[in-house]
Formats: sequence, structure tokens, C-alpha cells
Amino acid sequence: MITFLSDIGVLLSDTGMWKNLIEFGILLFLAALGEVIAEKSGVLNLGVEGMMAVGAMTGYWAGIQTGSPWAAIIIAAVAVALFATLHGVVSVVLGADQVVSGLALTILGLGLAAFLGTDLVSQAPGAKFDDLSLGALSELPGVGPTLFSMDAMGWVALFFGALTWFVINRTRAGLNLRAVGESAATADAAGTPVVGTRLIAVAIGGAFAGLAGAYLTLKITPSWNESIVGGLGWIAVALVIFGAWRPGRVLIGALLFGGLIAVGPRFQTRRCNGDEITNCITTEINPILVSMLPYLLTILVLVVLSIRSRNRPSVAPAAIGQAYRREER
Amino acid sequence: MRSDVFLTERRGEHREPAHTTSTGPDRPSGVENIVTAVELDGIWKRFPGVIANAGASLTVAPGSVHAVLGENGAGKTTLMNVLAGVYRPDEGTVRLDDVEQSFSKPADAIAAGVGMVYQEFRLIPTFTVTENVVLGSAPAVLSKSALETEVGELAERFGLQTNPGREVWQLSMGERQRVEILKALWRDARVLILDEPTAVLTPDEAAELGRITAAMAGEGRSIIFISHKLDEVKTFCDEATVLRGGKTVASSLSVDDLDAGRMAELMVGEATAVSQRRVRTNPIGEHVLAVDDMVVHDVHGRAVVAGVSLTVAEGEIVGIAGVAGNGQRPLADAIAGLTPASQGRVSIGSTDLTKLNPRSRNANGLAYVPEDRIGVGLAPRMNAVDNAILRTYRSLGDGPFIDRSAAEDRATDLIERYNIKVGRVDQPLAGLSGGNLQRLLVGRELDDNPIALIAAQPTRGLDVQGVKAIQEIIVDQAVDGVGVLLISEDLEELFALSDRLLVMHEGSVVAEFDPDTATRAEVGAAMAGAGAH
Amino acid sequence: MFGLRLTKRETPLPGGQILAFAMGLLVALLIGAVLLVVADHSPLAIYTKMADAAFGSPQAWSTTLNQAVPLGLAGLAVAVAGSMGLWNIGAEGQIIAGAIAGTWVARIGPDLAGPVLIPLMIIAAVFGGAVLALGPALARAHLGVNEIITTLMLNEVAIRMVRYLVNGPWKDPTSIGFPVAPELPEQSALPTLFERANIGVLIAAAVLLVFGYFAARSKWGFELRVAGSSEKAAEYVGISLKRKVLTVLVLSGAIAGMVGGLRLGSSDRIVEGIAEGWGFAGIIVAAIALMRPSGVAAVAIAFGALRVGGVAIKGQGVPASIAEILQALVLLGALGAAVFTTYRLDRTSASSNASEGAVA
Repeated sequence: MITFLSDIGVLLSDTGMWKNLIEFGILLFLAALGEVIAEKSGVLNLGVEGMMAVGAMTGYWAGIQTGSPWAAIIIAAVAVALFATLHGVVSVVLGADQVVSGLALTILGLGLAAFLGTDLVSQAPGAKFDDLSLGALSELPGVGPTLFSMDAMGWVALFFGALTWFVINRTRAGLNLRAVGESAATADAAGTPVVGTRLIAVAIGGAFAGLAGAYLTLKITPSWNESIVGGLGWIAVALVIFGAWRPGRVLIGALLFGGLIAVGPRFQTRRCNGDEITNCITTEINPILVSMLPYLLTILVLVVLSIRSRNRPSVAPAAIGQAYRREER
Repeated sequence: MRSDVFLTERRGEHREPAHTTSTGPDRPSGVENIVTAVELDGIWKRFPGVIANAGASLTVAPGSVHAVLGENGAGKTTLMNVLAGVYRPDEGTVRLDDVEQSFSKPADAIAAGVGMVYQEFRLIPTFTVTENVVLGSAPAVLSKSALETEVGELAERFGLQTNPGREVWQLSMGERQRVEILKALWRDARVLILDEPTAVLTPDEAAELGRITAAMAGEGRSIIFISHKLDEVKTFCDEATVLRGGKTVASSLSVDDLDAGRMAELMVGEATAVSQRRVRTNPIGEHVLAVDDMVVHDVHGRAVVAGVSLTVAEGEIVGIAGVAGNGQRPLADAIAGLTPASQGRVSIGSTDLTKLNPRSRNANGLAYVPEDRIGVGLAPRMNAVDNAILRTYRSLGDGPFIDRSAAEDRATDLIERYNIKVGRVDQPLAGLSGGNLQRLLVGRELDDNPIALIAAQPTRGLDVQGVKAIQEIIVDQAVDGVGVLLISEDLEELFALSDRLLVMHEGSVVAEFDPDTATRAEVGAAMAGAGAH
Repeated sequence: MFGLRLTKRETPLPGGQILAFAMGLLVALLIGAVLLVVADHSPLAIYTKMADAAFGSPQAWSTTLNQAVPLGLAGLAVAVAGSMGLWNIGAEGQIIAGAIAGTWVARIGPDLAGPVLIPLMIIAAVFGGAVLALGPALARAHLGVNEIITTLMLNEVAIRMVRYLVNGPWKDPTSIGFPVAPELPEQSALPTLFERANIGVLIAAAVLLVFGYFAARSKWGFELRVAGSSEKAAEYVGISLKRKVLTVLVLSGAIAGMVGGLRLGSSDRIVEGIAEGWGFAGIIVAAIALMRPSGVAAVAIAFGALRVGGVAIKGQGVPASIAEILQALVLLGALGAAVFTTYRLDRTSASSNASEGAVA
């Protein structure tokens, strides 16, 4: 027990762990934020894994082409927004089942990224997000080399998080978005365009998945192979539920799940900070078992939410999964 | 800051005295010249197989509360949907403040100042009162507290008690209705249509509604009040228009000239005529179905069936009359076992069914033709054969398998006996007409020689031949000794078929009549809650 | 706005789904051709090569059928749940759970004779899949927890479970380099049926036939369809929805688990990627087959051929992922096309009123 506590101490003083946590947190937050927007409009998009793969491949390719991480990540966002629109057209305009259509998007995205990215596997990255120094802030003990040294996308992600919260909760556009996702018929009767709102929400959701995917290959790895996304997209889907469709809670969840990803490998072998032999982790926890936790926690949260919503409406947007056609009213 | 500017603009729109009607370019300026707020003239609306409006008209004065009366199927709701822009009339004109209108969608009617509060509220449960009110006409940036204050002020102005920050799912039915009214007022509706607004209200809430409509009329707005209940029409309304069979039979009567007899006469036809009754050929026997002190609560905890006791004898048809929503549906569902009863007993013959599930009740001889043919009585995506054996598949064939040829025989037999027209027996039911669906359902329910039959709205929505066929089947069953509980909103049908006629009002049986001697006026008055007995 | 509007057909287009599938296939092949041209290949040559590899000889047929086995059974697993309106997105994980359970049997009884070992492994696999589906089934039946998300999450858990076993407790101590599980006993391989096809083909065909017959003809299958058609109608005739949900989801997991068992019979050992995306592909198969067991078999063979073709063109320098792309495109195309089997595209005048059609 004492050794375990000392291990926690070692872990918490590990700057590398914190940097990993923040980076995976950023990635998961961006992807989950996009899914929140889509689901708030009543469209479940199980294509996140595939969209992120397309974003990762496109971003990596565009980085090589342009040499600029910013150009690359914007190209990836636009490309994936277009790719996500495929799901929008099939499930929103044509009214096909959202589950099937979204899964098809995942399979298609993984396939397309592998197909088009074949030549990229062996290529060195052309652009990369660098850590951003904030002068004196980055010199602070603890938060200086971690939070205040993260790259610019971290701040962009936080900005987008705040913007998303504001738009959803404090603007007419957000009111319409939520109305469409709660009851399409009611929104339609009030004059809100249902199909248009949902299409835009799905495309924006795709753009966020594109940002997340490109961030993976322009920062975290930075390299490309076809299995690089490896379940991160599913964690993003899980995060939306874990965060109860609220950007703030999703951020907390993203940092928690990002932390699990960061911590996992650190219990695997004797890891020491610096050279001092006293500053080592001695407890061994299998990282693979740790990596199951996000999914299991999400199931737990889902069960709790379901029990809680017995006496009140569910926190999930009520119209998720339902196609809408006015004539059926 | 930006939001404040915007809100000031909006507030300006609202706070203008309503009766100056300076908004909207299509309204004439001088309000004194306007004699009618609403004028519907010669409205025809046909649906496949049904003529809902046959030249109906309605004239509503500005600043008045106007009742629209009529039986179910008289065309009231269709006419109101024409005014609200949901339907386009086949013929006829709609005028607001003397200006002819052509609505192609509900939003057009809303823009022209028509608000409609439907019986089934169109609110988003997880939204706050304020969010529901402003949806569709909200400022670009929402300041929660400013909007809530503004909605609160609007509510206060009309004496609508509400809490702008609460989520709608937490509200009572009466509060939800006030939110619907607020929605219309937020859009500055000049004409507000309330579709049977008191059906979901407690008496206190109904009285409150009366004060609200009076306040709105005091500002020069017009309220159209759809109702069946004489007492509230007399209390709340200034004038009344009565529809029957899609036509206007009396327009803009003063409510002072209206009494129970006159109202029922206008709604259902001649006051004293007794229609062709079926001739009884067999004496009524022992009780086959008995319901004792049944109470059913809905999800909100309201007692929608409040202590009903009744008996049906062998070969007897007991009719239940009542305005829709007075507990007939939960009563039928609870007798059949689909809805749990909080209290009371059900028995068939000497067998107590109270603790049995729907399947066992059916096996004990209770057949049920539910109000929802498709989706409850029949499985829409399955074919005619499957639906024909829905009650009996467990006994068709040995072991785990269904004997398909026996199933097909049974279906063919039903189809022939009840003259059901199906294209192919292996096609989903979706394509069949209402009459064919109902003959299939009724035929199947009667196939196992039940002891008692509950038939809920068995002829609703059918054409003339369809109605006749179903009524003949029901009478034949009674002749064969089946006890029938017939729930209907069609008084003609009840008078023609019933041996005894019960009237339900607010969850209770409030009156019993002998159809041979009772008048429609008496029954109509009891349905309206006039306490004739 | 567009001057076009979807109107519901009074009766669905006869044979519509086959038409939709054909349209989906056509769309997929066209888009695939574009991709191939972009990648500097001749689509015609590639497609010919793919077709040849899948159907050109008895050996080609045997390979296609081998691939159709997991697709068909996974499709059936999804279809069983789908016929009641439930989504088992967890077939992928249940396949893995089946493979884990099967391997476990082989590890404790490595010396059992093939005719004993193989059935035991398959039975264990069936249980493994059922166990993984049990949690979501219970949660859905008793707490109303959405089964889509729970089954989906368990996929990722199962993937990590097999990764853990292969890297840890089940690691072959004699392996050098990348950790792998030890080889399965030789006699656990499924006997050959013809060419490369093993008796898994017969087992899958038998399961599909028996289940298809049972679903169509039994009282149980009848109740399933009633519940899938209308929950209220099911209550009206006294069918217990809770019990149906529970049994159907567990059965769905069991069928998917069987896929894992059969895969062991044609693999050397359990590996991380033992499920190879079959669980997800099964969802596509079931969706195109409209959740009907009879359709599942046909679609499974078509998709099996796509996979075989995809592998065969690897030598041409075309990534095998073209098979996944084509599968997904077929589905998306078919989903889009299916709309036109129940809806008609009409020209509309700008003023037409969309909300008419119901008597209030």
C-alpha cells in the first residue's frame, strides 16, 4: 500500500505523463465535442472512428504537402466535414437507419484511409504542432511545463469547447439545434428547418472529428498507419454519454480517459523519473486492463443515467435515431 | 450587451397595446371599421372517403370568446386546422380582419396572428417554459434571465401563473396549457384557438382558464373555444357556432339563448326522434361480464377511471357514451388487462379475471376490439394470415411449430366469412382499407366463441358499408348470446344497438338510460356534465 | 425548394430490396472504379481478377464460402436481434469472446480427440458469446439501458481482453519477438469439406437453415415478429417483452460466439485480430438482408466474394482495403436506394401542402 502511494507520487510528478494526458485529452475532447453537436441535433453518428481515420490520413498527407500544421488540420477538418455529410444525406435526407449508416461510415472511413494512405506509411511527417511556450507562465512549477506548455491546438480546443457550450445554451441557433434533437415535429411546427439543421450539425461534427484525427498524426504520433486510430473514435462516442451531452462534463471525461491512456503504460515496467533509483514505480498494473476502463466506465454511467431517468426525462436528446418526415406527422 | 439591444426591440413589439393592430402590413389600420376578426366562408375539405367540411362557415367578432360546438366527426378540428394553416381548404375563403388569407403552412397562419393550442401539447419536455415559449421566434443571442423576466411579465399581464425557468416535464397539465397559450401570445396571436382546452384540466384550472381568456378578449383578441360542455360554454363564451356533419347548423348564437336541450338538439339533430332500434329476439340472460368499483390512474396520478361498476348480461349490448377522454379508453384497457387497475374487480361468468394477464383473460372468453386497430389489435408489418392467428397461434400445431396450413385455413375462413378483401394473404396489412382491417380484427376476436366482447369505437373512421357490416356482426353476436360492451362516440350507433346506455363523464358513469325512452338531448346533457341524473 | 418531394408509396415496390442491393452494388463498383483509376489501376482488370478469385474455380468457390461462413453467422446474429427491433452492435466482441472460450477449452483438453474437442470448443464459444451479450441483455430488459452503446463498448473490452491474454497469461513462452499465443492442437482444425472449404460451411449452412425455418415457422419466431412489428400488439396478445428481449439478445450473442469457435477451427492460434471485422460486416449483411435469415446467406456469399477478391488483388499492388470500401459503399448505396422502395420522388408545386393526408 505504501509503495503504491509512493508510486502515485512518482506518477504525479512525471511531466511526460501529464503531457500525454493533456494531448490525449485534447484529441478526445475535440472528437467528442463534434459528436455532442451531431447528437444534440438528434443524429447518432457511429462513424467517428472512421472519420478520425480519414482526418488523420488527410492531415498527415496535407502536412507533407503544405508543410504547415495549420493548413493541414484545416484541410483535414473540411475533408471530414464533407465525408460526414455522406452520413447526413443517407440518414437525414433519405431517412435510412442512423446506426447502420454510421457504422458504414466507420468501415468506409477506415478502408478509404488505408487505401489512400498506403504510400504515407513510410513517409516522414511534413508538419507538426510544437509545444507553445507562454513565457513566464511556462516557467511555473507543475503547470508550467505541462498545461502552459501545451501546443496551440490545446487552446483552440478549449476555445471551441467554450464556443460550443455558448452556442448550444445561449443562442437561437443552439435552441433550434436542441429543439430539433428533442422533437423534430415540434421544432418543425415552430418554423425551424429540421433537415438543414441536422445536416449542418453532422458536418460540423465531422469537422471536429477531422481536427481530432489530424491532431493525432500532426502531434501525438506523428506518423501514419492504417490502424493508428485504434479505438479512440469509440472512446469519443463513449465520452458523449459519459459527459451526459454537456461540453463541460465531456471535457472532464476527456481528461479522465486521456489520463487512463497516459497512465496505462507507466505501470507496465519499472519506470523511473531521472536516474534516481528511489524515484521509480514498483507496482505493476497491466496497461491493457487499464485501457478497458473507459468503456466499462461508460457502461456504468449509462446504467446510472437509465436508472435516474425513470422519474424524469432522459438526458439524451429524445429524437436520437429518429428520422423525420413532415408528412408522417 | 448585444442581447439587451435586441431584447429591447422585441419588447417594443410586445408592449404595444394589442388592439391597435399596427403590426403586419395586411391589416387595415382603423380598428373601429373591423366587424369580424375571423371569417371562414363556405369551407369544403375532403379526405379520401370522408368529407370533413361541407361548406362550413364561422364568424368571430374581435374581442370575443366564441364557442365552436359539435359532436365528434362534426368537422370542428378540420375547420380549425384550416384556420391554423395545417390544411388548405378545397373550397372557401379565410379572412382575418376582413383581409383574405391563403395559408400554405402553419407558419403562415402564425405570422398572420393565428395561434392554436392543440389537445396534445406541442412542447419539449426538457426545455424550460421560456425556451418553449420563444422557440421559433427567439433573439439571436439568448440572455436567459432577461428572457425569463420578459416571459414572466407577459404571463403576468394575462394572469397566467407560470414559472419561466422550470422545465416543462415538471409541470401539471394545466401549467403546460398555459405555456402553449404563452407561446401564442409571445407571437402576438390575434386569434387563439383552444381545442377542447378543459379536457385535461381540473375544475379549478378550468375556472382559471376562463379568467385568462377573458383577459385576452379584453385586449381585443379573439378566442375560439372548442368544447362539448354546456356549462363552461355558458360561463366562458360570448357566442357559439354549432357544426354538424361538416356543416354549420347555427352560427353566432348568443350563449344566453342556449340551454342543454337546445345545445344537444343542435349537435345531434332532432331532439326527440328515436332511430331504428334493433329488435330483440332473445331474452337477456345471466350476467356474463361484471366490473366492480374499478379505479385506473394515469401516469400523472390522475384517476382517469374513478370507481366504475357495471354488468353486461348474456345477449345484452351495453353502450357507453361519452365525450372523448372521459375514461372510456382506460376502462376498456383495464378490463382487458392491458392497463393495470389500481382497484376493483373484473369477472367473466363466475371466473374472477382480476389477477390474470391479457392472454388468460382472452382464454377465459373475453374478446377485445381495441380503439387502435393498427398497432394494438393488429400487427401492421405482418400479413393477414399472421394477424388472423394472433390470438390462437399457440394452439395451432403441436410442439414449438405453427401449423401453417391450419393457419392459412383459419385466415381463409375468416376472410370468406367476414368478406375481407385482401390482395394477397402474404402481404403486410399496411395496404388494407379501414373497413377490411376492422372486419379482420373483429372476426378474429369473435372466432373463438367469446363469452363477452368489448368493442371500443368499432366503427370509427369507416365508410357507410363498413359501419353497417361491423354493426351487423355485433348484433349477430348478441343474438348468439355474447355480452357486448360497446364504447362509442357515435350516439346514433349507441341508440340503435344498445339495450342499456351508460354515460361516462370524468371517469365515472354518471347516468344510465333506456334507449327506447331516452332522448338524445337527455343523453347529450349528461355527456356534457350537466348532471341530468 | 427543390421542386421534388418524397411521397410514401401505397405499397412498397415489389422486390425492392433486391433492386436496392443491385443499385448499391452498382454505385459501389462505380465509385470503386474511380478510386482505382486514381490509384492508377484498370478497374475492369481488377474487377475481373476479383471475380475470378471469388468464383472462377472450385477452389475459388471454396475460399469464398469459407469467408461467407463468419459473415453469414454474424449477419444472422445481428438479424435475430434486428427482427425484434434490437441492435446487437457487439457481434465483433462476441466473436472474440467465443474464440477466447474455445481456446480455453483447447488449453485444458489439448489431448482430446478431434471429434470431441471440436464440438466442445464450438459449444464453449457459443457460451462465450452469450456471456458477453448477457450484460447488455439484462440491462436492456430490466433497466431499459440502450443496447446499442453497451454492446458497442463491450467490443472494445473484448479486443483488449484477447490482447491481454495473448500478451500475458497465454503468451507462448517459446515465442521470440512479437508475443503470440501457442498453437492450437492439430486435431482442433476443422476437417476439409472440399478444396479449401472446411465443414464450417456445413455448420453455418445448417444453423442458417434451422434458424431460418424456426424463425419462420415456430411459435417463438412468430412472437418475435409480433414484438418487432408492434410492442403494444405483443402486450395485447400477452407476450412478455422483457423475456423476449433477454432471450433474443443472448441468442444473438451466442450465434456470434459460434463464429469465434469456427474461426479457431481454421486458424493456427488465437490472435488479436481473430474477429477481423466480421462482427461489423455482419451488421451490414443483416441490414441489407432486411434482417431475414434467407437474405443473410445470399448477401454473405456476395460479401465473402468481395473479401476474397480484395485479398487476391493485393499482389497487383492494390490495397486489400478496397474490399472494405466496396462493402461499405454497397451498404450506403443500398440504404439510399432502399428509400425509393417505400417512397416515390414526386415533383411538387411550390405551394403544395406537405402536412395533408390525415383526418384530424
